[in-house]
Amino acid sequence: MADGGAWRPPRPCEAYRAEWKLCRSARHFLHHYYVHGERPACEQWRRDLASCREWEERRSAEAQSLCESERARVQATRKHALVWALRQSPPADWHLPLPQDEKDQ
Amino acid sequence: MKHSGCAVNKERHFSCEDCNGNVSGGFDASTSQIVLCQNNIRNQAHMNRVVTHELVHAFDHCRAHVNWFTDVRHLACSEVRAANLSGDCSLVNEIFRLHFGLKQHHQTCVRDRAILSILAVRNISKEVAQKAVDEVFESCFNDHEPFGRIPHNKTYARYAHRDFQNRDRYYSNI
Repeated sequence: MADGGAWRPPRPCEAYRAEWKLCRSARHFLHHYYVHGERPACEQWRRDLASCREWEERRSAEAQSLCESERARVQATRKHALVWALRQSPPADWHLPLPQDEKDQ
Repeated sequence: MKHSGCAVNKERHFSCEDCNGNVSGGFDASTSQIVLCQNNIRNQAHMNRVVTHELVHAFDHCRAHVNWFTDVRHLACSEVRAANLSGDCSLVNEIFRLHFGLKQHHQTCVRDRAILSILAVRNISKEVAQKAVDEVFESCFNDHEPFGRIPHNKTYARYAHRDFQNRDRYYSNI
């Protein structure tokens, strides 16, 4: 969590509410069960929404738990090692004309 | 794609062609071009799915050193991701294929379709393709870039795009 006066929640509170609502919808239950074989866990979105609103209304220290929650989400996406090495720059030939276009010209 | 340095130009990066067999499309890494099989794409929904599938390959080519032709594990990883993220394995599409299953069936579909896609472009045995998919599945099935989630429908896609637009605020405040 960044120190200093410029900190604000990583997402607008409305985004937490929208994610919580989506998570709890019947449609999402079906998608999640179809993909993972178990029911979705939505409680963390509700806690994050509450923390966000606490911060908006009272600049409460609850915001700390919001940072921890989001960092845990980011960590969860990075827990598996990638199969390939990431590039430092895009492929050099992405924008080059096709070989047959060069021949035509 | 643009954010990754590979802005897509319709004329340069897409080609509509007649294809052999019942292949719907492909990504040619040697020319950085997506091929759409105009004789095999049935309707708009199918087109949307094929374009998304091939764009996942293009995105992987743009952001990573994918050894498409020399490492079957790399090919397997991109095929797992494309099947997972394009809607290829939606419940509705699987039902149309007469593949019935609900609990975790999506993963079965992704594995099977990744293997089929590998076999369509490589002259290797089903066992070798299966082994490659098994080895990379855990990592690649859970890699949801650039969406951050599996975009099951327009709502999920819209939320993914909102998160993308919000990324600067997000990473500077966690």
